[in-house]
Amino acid sequence: MTTAEIITLTVTKTVDARGTACPGPLLEAKKAIGTINSGEIMEVLSADEGTKRDIPKWANKKGHEYLGTVEESGYFKIYLKKG
Amino acid sequence: MAKLCIGLFSGSLDKLTAAGVILSGAAADDMDVEVFVLLQGARAFIKGNENKIDNLAEASHLKDEFTSALEKLNVSTWYEFFKMTKEMTNVKIYICSLAGKIWGGEKLEDFNDLTDDICGIGEYLTAAEEADIHMFI
Repeated sequence: MTTAEIITLTVTKTVDARGTACPGPLLEAKKAIGTINSGEIMEVLSADEGTKRDIPKWANKKGHEYLGTVEESGYFKIYLKKG
Repeated sequence: MAKLCIGLFSGSLDKLTAAGVILSGAAADDMDVEVFVLLQGARAFIKGNENKIDNLAEASHLKDEFTSALEKLNVSTWYEFFKMTKEMTNVKIYICSLAGKIWGGEKLEDFNDLTDDICGIGEYLTAAEEADIHMFI
């Protein structure tokens, strides 16, 4: 998905994990995805570089769809659709 | 469900923290985990010892830098990692009976609340044989 497409998504759950280093964002994403329904969108905010690759790989393995990552100033937002 | 087996020989702050981070990755992946706590590791699991672990296995002369960096990065303590992952996935922690005795722990009640049971070496090797991933830390 392009950034323009991503910003039109309806986000059900936002996880702000900017205060933690690896593995904090992954753990917070794992806990939060259990609270939404299949097909709903979750965004994860992180400033940890390792998370950029880690969460998309984890999501694909667990059957969720990785939609894309949007860069912000000093952090980024990862978008997932629950499978 | 993938199975992870860890032989946790080390009882130092740096290696316990590494084990905690790896456990949390396993929890995110819903793995079944069995941790077998061996010799030095058992000291950390004696009831009341969790906050007394302050030695590093490597670069011990940089301990202050290491611990203050972990704090600044908001990294959980090794005990918190273990506790959290036990709540998230199926993690069983077994203390080798010999290791426990070395540090004064004979019975299950001598160990902290992370501990599931006391075991012998045969069970560890069987678990390692049956696991998809085996690590020795």
